Amino acid sequence: MEYAIETFSLTKVFSDLWGRNKVYAVADLNLRIRENEVFGLLGPNGSGKTTTLKVLLGLLYPTKGKYVVLGGDSTDPKISARIGFMPEESYLYRYLSARETLDFYGRLFGLKRQVRKMRIEALLDMVGLKAAANRAVGTFSKGMARRIGLAQALINDPDLLILDEPTTGLDPIGTRQIKDLILELAKRGKTILLCSHLLADVEDVCDRIAILYGGRIQSEGKVKELLVQTDKREITTGRISDAAVEKIKQIVRQEQAECVVSSPMDKLETFFIRTVTAAQQQATPTSGAVSTTRIGGFLSSEGTQKNILDRLVSAPQPEQPSSAEPATKEPVVVETTQTKADEQLLDKLTRVERTETVTKEPANPKLLEPEQTKKNILDELTDAPKNKNTGEGHSGNPDGDPGNA
Amino acid sequence: MRSIWAVAINTVKQAFRLKIAAVFVILLIVLLPIMGFSMTGDGTAQGRLQAFVSYGLSLTSLLLCLFTIIVSVYSLTNDIKQKQIYMVLTKPIRRFELIFGKLLGVVILDIALLTVFSVLIYTIVIYTPRLSGASAEETAQLKNEFYTARASLTPGEVDVAGEVEKLYQKLDESGQLEQMYKGIRRANIIAELTRRVKLRRRAAAPGQELIWEFRDVKPLSKDESLFIRFKYEVSVNPPDLHVYSAWAAGDYRQVHSGKIETPIETFERKDLIRTFHEIEVSANVVAEDGFLSISFLNVPQLNNTVVIFPPDDGLEVLYKADTFGSNFIKAVFLILFRLVFLACLGLMASSFLSMPVAILLCLLIFFTGTISGFIIESFEYLSKDISLLYSYTVGPMVKLLPQFDKFNPTKFLVSGRLLSWSLFARVGAVMVCIKSVLLLLLALLFFSYREIAKAVIR
Repeated sequence: MEYAIETFSLTKVFSDLWGRNKVYAVADLNLRIRENEVFGLLGPNGSGKTTTLKVLLGLLYPTKGKYVVLGGDSTDPKISARIGFMPEESYLYRYLSARETLDFYGRLFGLKRQVRKMRIEALLDMVGLKAAANRAVGTFSKGMARRIGLAQALINDPDLLILDEPTTGLDPIGTRQIKDLILELAKRGKTILLCSHLLADVEDVCDRIAILYGGRIQSEGKVKELLVQTDKREITTGRISDAAVEKIKQIVRQEQAECVVSSPMDKLETFFIRTVTAAQQQATPTSGAVSTTRIGGFLSSEGTQKNILDRLVSAPQPEQPSSAEPATKEPVVVETTQTKADEQLLDKLTRVERTETVTKEPANPKLLEPEQTKKNILDELTDAPKNKNTGEGHSGNPDGDPGNA
Repeated sequence: MRSIWAVAINTVKQAFRLKIAAVFVILLIVLLPIMGFSMTGDGTAQGRLQAFVSYGLSLTSLLLCLFTIIVSVYSLTNDIKQKQIYMVLTKPIRRFELIFGKLLGVVILDIALLTVFSVLIYTIVIYTPRLSGASAEETAQLKNEFYTARASLTPGEVDVAGEVEKLYQKLDESGQLEQMYKGIRRANIIAELTRRVKLRRRAAAPGQELIWEFRDVKPLSKDESLFIRFKYEVSVNPPDLHVYSAWAAGDYRQVHSGKIETPIETFERKDLIRTFHEIEVSANVVAEDGFLSISFLNVPQLNNTVVIFPPDDGLEVLYKADTFGSNFIKAVFLILFRLVFLACLGLMASSFLSMPVAILLCLLIFFTGTISGFIIESFEYLSKDISLLYSYTVGPMVKLLPQFDKFNPTKFLVSGRLLSWSLFARVGAVMVCIKSVLLLLLALLFFSYREIAKAVIR
């Protein structure tokens, strides 16, 4: 089986009660998502992303065309047992507690009691809701509900994970966790289909993307190939003297090229995560979700001992220096942050931490300049606010490039 | 199976945590004991208990019916409206499993609540006379007429066609027919004669004796009593409004054979007309093969009027055929059958309708079910002229309506009548095995073809 998901001129038409006013939500869609691929379905609001997912999951019937999910029909229990789905909003039973919610979905998957209990505790820990596990989910904030939505999508250790707008409603740490998780799961041979209009998220994690508009694919391909600017180069260095900068400029001029020199700014995301982590270490009580950066770390390290998810996947475990010491499990950014946790945080807002950024992450060639992105079709199609630092989304990522084919 | 159970448990939790169940539970927990103390009926201990059992059980039944409709409709339509179903149906669960799960959940709830309330009612019924200090006489009356499950035998329809035919011939030959019924069609004359002959079978002139025969009389024990329950009509009111009579009960075949094995009991009585009376007879007068005959003599010198036993309830033989407890349990099960039917109805309606419309439909069918006798009668009356059309179109549809009034369980308990196993099985078969299954199949059909995330463009 080569493709995890394949559609054949899939078409979905919405009509009014009398069959008039036809709206082509999805039109002649031919989607091929390979196994072990992170595929992003992009598009502005109403472009047919969610409709496509709903058809693939059997919640809508296609007007025309066919689809194959994991080699079969997604409503077949044998197939759907291997799918994890996180809808755009968490539609939860308000009266159940977080633990009961996960237990309910675990039962639907027919998981044995022991397995269920173990996974529920592991997942609650992972999404940082252990403290709120016995509270009715009706009292949860949107972000907390999303975390439960994520946990329930993972409870069956799915081979195919379908995520609809996975990061909306989540705080930056949650967003980062999801992104790290996606990369981690992809590394273990899972297939992930996500649809979003938050381009930064997609760009960080996806191997391939398709851009939908009016229910049709407008553009499709590998993220790197689509975004690379072959006529530009970027150099990032450690702390060097002005004289050295001048020398470099000269060399560049000899090559008949333009040269811009600036100091990279710390990402707000990085700063935010550092701030919250510091507050957490001072044990500031919160009624909400406990913000951890554990998702990625959790699955890769602690799992070797406790987590059932890990035992079930056949992919080799990423190397960990020590699984007993929690601090080493954290991504590098957090680690460096922890050493400086006691420093004045406001001070950092203005300070440029050049050396750290540089050593961790060489600038990515797919960095987009603001003027250039304007020409991009994404810009015309989306109303999402543009993040100038999109390319630096990797700065905090310990695994480097998202490519994990 | 595991997923059906998961859905069922979730449905139960939903009903309790959203306080739907709480409303009904509190209402009944408060109302039933209050009713137990405040209901006085006609002032006697028996009247009091009759009123309580009747209103208590009817109220429980009504509230649980409404509860069942609301929970079964809410549970499914709300899942669809709030989209929780997106996250459920994408799991390895078939749609029919979801419907079965919901049904199981509602039925579990019904069984639990019904058990609680019927135990409550039963306890109150059993302890009320002790607490209220009923007299020995009242206690005895209660034992015979209330804490019992009495089977009732009525003299069935007698076939009088042959006799009527003879009478017609005789009148025809003597020429009286021409004289009495001039210009009237034969069928009408026969009907009139039939009525007269039948009346004669139920009427006794002074000095005349009437004999009824009963077969298959099976009292619970030979130590129990039989009761002859009767009411007199008279052609002319006696001055003191009383009738003097001589009754006998036993196996009269012995009189002809001359071999007496079972006793024959006789009674001389003076009873008020147009009122029900009961004669207590020892149950051992019944022959081994279940034969029993009863005779009534209109005592010639003391009465001067023809005594008539009205049709339907003129004469009955009552005997204890089961205990009150087992009758009560059967009555409670009749209510449960009703609830199962309504749960299936609720799921069927919500498989294709939104919540308000589905509840409306269910309530409509529920209330027509409670007056189904009236509805069926009026339809049959109105459709006399188009009977063929009716019997193939509206007729079957009307028959499909639930008939809650016909199988009202409280009337059996109030009169201490036996709720026979045959009636019990018939109601169960019709209400649960046929109608509920039919509704469930419809629900599965509608739901499995329904597009869950359907959007209609306006």
